[in-house]
Parts: sequence; C-alpha cells; structure tokens
Amino acid sequence: MNRAMLIAHREVMAYVKTVGFWLSLLSLPFFAVLGGFMPTLIKRAEPVQNYILVEEAAPAASSGLAAAVREALEKDYDRTVLSSLSIAAVGEAGITGRDTVRKAVDEGGYEAGLAALKQVAPRAGASFKAPRRDKIELPAPAELTSAADGVALDAKAREWVQKDKSEGGQDLSAIIILSNKDSGPAARIWSRRAGNNDMEGQIRDALRDVNRQKAFEASGIDTAVVAQVENYRPDITLLSPRAASGGEVGLRDRLPSIIGVICGFLMWSLIITGASMLMNGVMEEKSNKILEVLLSSVTATELLVGKVLGVAILTLTVMGGWGIISAVGLAATLPDVARDIGAVMLTNGLWLYLLLYLVGGYLMYAVLFAAIGAFCETPRDAQTLMGPVMMAMVVPLLFMQMAVRNPDAVILKVLSFIPPFTPFIMSARAPSQPPLIEVILSIVVMFVFAGLMMWLSGRAFRAGAMSDAKLSWKSFLGAMRHS
Amino acid sequence: MAAVLQLADVSKNYGSFQAVRNLSFEVERGTICGFLGPNGAGKTSTIRMILGLQGVSSGQITILGADDGRKVRDRIGFLPEERGLYKKMTPVEAISYLGSLKGLPAAEGRKRARDMLEQMGLGDTHKKKMKDLSKGMAQKVQLIASVVHQPEFVILDEPFSGLDPMNQQGLEAMIRSLAANGATVLFSTHVMQHAERLCDKVVLLARGRKAFEGTVAEARATSARYLEIEGALDVNAVAALPGVGTVETLSDIDGIVTLKAALAAGAEAQHTLRAAFVSDLDVRRFQLREPTLHDAFIALTGDHPDDDQRHKATGTQIEEAAQ
Repeated sequence: MNRAMLIAHREVMAYVKTVGFWLSLLSLPFFAVLGGFMPTLIKRAEPVQNYILVEEAAPAASSGLAAAVREALEKDYDRTVLSSLSIAAVGEAGITGRDTVRKAVDEGGYEAGLAALKQVAPRAGASFKAPRRDKIELPAPAELTSAADGVALDAKAREWVQKDKSEGGQDLSAIIILSNKDSGPAARIWSRRAGNNDMEGQIRDALRDVNRQKAFEASGIDTAVVAQVENYRPDITLLSPRAASGGEVGLRDRLPSIIGVICGFLMWSLIITGASMLMNGVMEEKSNKILEVLLSSVTATELLVGKVLGVAILTLTVMGGWGIISAVGLAATLPDVARDIGAVMLTNGLWLYLLLYLVGGYLMYAVLFAAIGAFCETPRDAQTLMGPVMMAMVVPLLFMQMAVRNPDAVILKVLSFIPPFTPFIMSARAPSQPPLIEVILSIVVMFVFAGLMMWLSGRAFRAGAMSDAKLSWKSFLGAMRHS
Repeated sequence: MAAVLQLADVSKNYGSFQAVRNLSFEVERGTICGFLGPNGAGKTSTIRMILGLQGVSSGQITILGADDGRKVRDRIGFLPEERGLYKKMTPVEAISYLGSLKGLPAAEGRKRARDMLEQMGLGDTHKKKMKDLSKGMAQKVQLIASVVHQPEFVILDEPFSGLDPMNQQGLEAMIRSLAANGATVLFSTHVMQHAERLCDKVVLLARGRKAFEGTVAEARATSARYLEIEGALDVNAVAALPGVGTVETLSDIDGIVTLKAALAAGAEAQHTLRAAFVSDLDVRRFQLREPTLHDAFIALTGDHPDDDQRHKATGTQIEEAAQ
C-alpha cells in the first residue's frame, strides 16, 4: 500500500472508531423520519380546546349568527379532512390519485373521498384516520345565556374562563361572544390563555364567511350559487413536451427540481462536514506535533492526498449509508415515488453529474480547509480565515431555493460558473436538465479551479505544517504565493 | 571512515534573518555525533534541512549518498524536538503505523514494536492509549517509533529534554546500542554533559555559525584548565600568583570567596599552590579542574549554552520554510 493510502486508511479508521461517526451516519435518516412525523406529532400533542359560543341578542338582526359560525367552523374542519385525504393519496397514487380523491370529496363529502382513497391508494386508505377535532363546542350555561349583553355578559364570561371548567366539569379554553355590529359580525373572545392565535384566527375566518354569505344574500344572490362558485375547482392540465409522459406533467416531472434542491443542500452539508473534519484533523495533528513526524516519512503531497482521500471515503460512506437507508425506506413506504426518484437520477446520467459536482466541490474546499488547518492549532486560530470563507459559502444556500421555481434564472446561470458555488447551484439545477453545454462547461471550469486550488493549497499546507508563525490572510496568501 | 553526512557551506535565511551561516561539517558512518548549541542556535533548522523538510538557502547537503534527505527518508530515523503521537492509538499501533510509513510491513512493525517496548520496560503498556501514558513513557514510545524500521542514520533533536535522569540514562544506553549496531547517530542538545558522555564527535553551533568540529577531547583542549580556590581571599592577590590567568569570582559568602582561576598553558598547579602558601594566602580549599565541554563551549563561542538565541518566526519565514 503506498503512503498516501496508508494515511487515508488511518484517517478512515480513526473516524470509524468514534461514536460521532455512527451518530452522523444515522442522524439524517432519524431526523428525516422525525421531520416527516413532526407536524402530526405537534398536532396530536396540542390539547383539545373546549369553547362556548354565546350570541348577544341586540341588535335585533343578530339571530342565526352562532349557527352561521358553527357552519363555517365545520367547513374549516372539512378542509382539514380533505387535506389529510389528499396527502394520504399523493404518497401512494401521485397527483392523479390526489385529484381523484378531491373530486370525490367535492361531489360526495368525506365518505365518498375515503372510498375513493381506498380505491386509488388501498394501503393508505386502509390505515387512514380522519384528523382529530382540535376544538369542541360545549353547551352554554344558563348564567351566560341569561346575562345582559355587554358589560354584564363580559363579567360572567370572565368569571367562567377563570374557573377553567364548564358546567359539565370539562376544561374550558374560551368563551366566544358573538355580536352583530353595524360594520358586520364581530366577536369578543375570552380565552384562558392570553395568546390564543389559533382560536382567534379560526373565528375571524368564520366571521368573514358569515359576512360574505350575508352580503351575497343582501345583494339577492342565491347562496347555492355562491357555494357552487366557491367550491369550483378548475380542471387544469399542465402539459409539456419534456414531460415523462410526453404530454401531461405529473409528479415524476416535478420531482427533478425537488430532488435538485435536496441534492444541493445535501451536497453543501456533506462538503462542509467533510472539509471541516479534515481541517480539524490537521489542526489536531499540528497541535499534537505529529505533522513534523509524518513529514519526515512522507511528502507533503502524499500527506495531503492521503488525508483528503481518507475523509472522502468517509464522506462517501456516510452518503452511501444515507442513500441506502433512504432508498430502502422510500421503497417500503412510497414505492412509486422511489421508482420516480430512481428514474430521475438515471435520466441523462444525472447521478454522474452529481458525483462529479461532489468530487469537484469536495476537492476545492477540502484542500483549502486542510491548508488553513496546517497553520492552526486551535479552532480559534482558524477563525481568522474561516469567517470570510463561511460567509461566501452562505451565498449558494440563498440561491439554491430559487432553483425549484426557476432553475434557468439568469442569476443562477451566472453563479453556476463561479467555481466555489458551482457544485451547489448546479446540483440544484442539474435535475431540471439545463442545457448540456452549461453542465459540461461548469464541470470543466470547476475542475480547472479545483486543480488550481489543490496546487496553491498544497503549497500553503506544506508551508503551514512546518511553521509556527501566527496565521493571517497575509501570511497564508504569502505562503501560497511563494512556497 | 566514510562520511554519510556532509554539509558544505550551508546557509538558511528567513527573510533578512540568517538562521544558519556557511555551515560545513561531516559525520562518519557508525559514529555518534553531538550537534551542540543553545536554543535558537540553528540546530533544528539544520536538521530540517538535512531531512529535506526545508530547503537550503545556499550550500549543499549530502546524506547517505543523496543530495536530498527526502530521497532516502526510509533509511533515516527522526525524532523531532516537539514530540507527539496520536493520542487514541496504542503504543504498538503508533509504532507500527510510523514504521509502515517508512516501508516496514505492518505485521513486522507490530512484532518489533512489542519486542522493543518490552526491552524499554514498557511491556505492560501494549493496550493502553497514548493519552494514558506518562510523558517519559510517551517519549520512549516515540523514540522506538523513530528507529523501528532500523534506519542507517538516526537524527534525534533534543532527545533528552523532558526526561527524568533515569530515563536519560536509558536513552543514552539506547543511543550507544544504535551505534553499536552500525547506525550513525546525530543528536542535538544544549546540555553538554550528554554529549560529553556519548559522542565520538561534536559540532558546536552558536548564532548559526559553526564554532567547533572535532572530538570531545579536542574541544576540551581548546579551553584552559583551572583552579577552584576557596578562602578569605583577595582576587588581585590570586591573580598575581604564578601560572594564573584570568580570575572569576564564583561565590562570596560572608567574605569567604570561591574563585575560578584559569591556568596558563603549561603552568603547573603545584607551583601555584606553593606560591599561595608562601604568600600566606588564606586558602581553605584548592582543586585542579579539567575543562568540561561546557567550558569549551563558552571559551569557543563566548556564549552560554543555556542561553536562548531563538528568533521568532515571521510571515517571511513561512514563505521561506516551504521552499
């Protein structure tokens, strides 16, 4: 085994033996799963809010306001159910399946929607449970309904909210006093918690619905027509000659931009993690005075290559591990999506481009970070140079999201050819199939720059490893220039 | 004897600072050569140039027949001044790893590591991590690591620093054993006693220049023998004694002084002692001392070997260091 490989081997073994390596290998899948379930978990963790609706009698035109609000709140819950049905459908049956379920709900309500879900996505349908109601109305106690409007009613509401309990002994979260003012329906919410934005928002939406309904009625418009107009969901078909089907754009066609952004962020974190590991390793060797021992046995180039290779093997191992875990997880839960992702990755050799961007990006940053590490004994020493480098690395993070909506934006095209940003911006763009010339040119420019970086950083690394001088941009650039 | 290391007019500049100036010396095969001088005299810079870790500013170095230490690095063993090994490795892992970088097969490296640790009295540290070893133990491990591949030329930069007297003795024995087995040893130190006991040859360095090259006896011969005289004495009276050159006061406690009186070349100590009695000087102790290497160093360079002549590195030095 040549010396660079021996260095690489030691590097790999040193990290593989640490708990941190295995934690980082397993952390992404863990957090991905956690992230997926988090909204549901948060929703389930929220306590149910019991509330009481009271309607003020005066002015005379107020009758029916509470009923209208109840109806609006019910509609809101229906929308939550529809959203849950749609999410359940899209995972297993794609966008077409989701549309089928939506249509069924529009035409026949929840039961029809559930039946459609069971038909288009049998597994999701079998395990589907309608979301829990997070707000439940309790009957209003006589003390409230008989209280005089205004100050007296507010005083009673305040008293009941402070008691925390309803007549039936259940927890009481809020009392909503509805009234009809000249400007339209209004509400005063007495809440146990000072900040109850959720309840406030729902009541506001409900009152808006009621107001709209009344306004239409006042204008002589048939409410059935209004309902029909509001529920109308235009049937839009997006077509593209570049769609996988040759016509209609489906989930398979929308996946590339999503995959691109995920790849870009993943690549960013992998490269930063790998390069930082390398820098910390070199710094540790510098502070432990091992560098000089190593340099009496191997050349600076062998040492740098060995270390870069070792951390690259680790990085690829982590990425491979994440890839396998994600692929197995997706194939088991969402086989159609897994198949589509596989197809996108294989289209026009996308996986190869991504690999090239990973290699180029890693080389650029790894050698730079290693050279910085060779001058430093502590992370504090490194901060002088790392500050501007990290600031520059934030730029692609800001622009990668733009690639989802508009992968061919001019600013993205320009950034694609600035080598330090190329790996991330192009990873985000590549799945959307930018012009081949841009892909090839960006790769060529990136590798030429990476070669230059390796040459310059190699010189700085050699100088830094044997130097006790204080690190500054001046000394670092001087070492690059003159070594 | 053939020279395995030759330095011819070697200089090393760090910007405007000249760390090594026109240095020339040779080391013969199978000998122990002491490279002596205060901290900052240019020893480490010279060693780094010999190893090829730093380029020379001018001059030429030939080691084991090569014009660059890097070409024969597998035949050289090196213990740097500032020592360190991977803290999470065991001694056997560390020794065999560094041996493997010198071309020693891993299995053979592990076997030799275990044997050498045993010989050095570190047999029970096999499974401990480096971080759990004492400083002395870790230094022994690093020394073993630098010679595990049985190099022809061993360079030890300040090998005795940080070791207790017991371990210093062990290290001296090890250096002798390396030479006895045919290796050439060049070690740097600012502690002259080690060199006095070990070296076939010494090279004295001060402020980057060679002050002397030769055997220990030759070095000592450059300095005068001296008398240590103690009593209620007047410095001028002692200086007036026959055969006495310069007189230096070593101590003065309540009027009782200890004087160091240099003897002129060819002068007899007995004559001086007799003259002191004749002059009725109050002599309470009188001792003839042979010059030490320490004395020789002071006589040759005018510097003290324990001085610090270090020159702090500058940005320019970084640039130079990598050349």
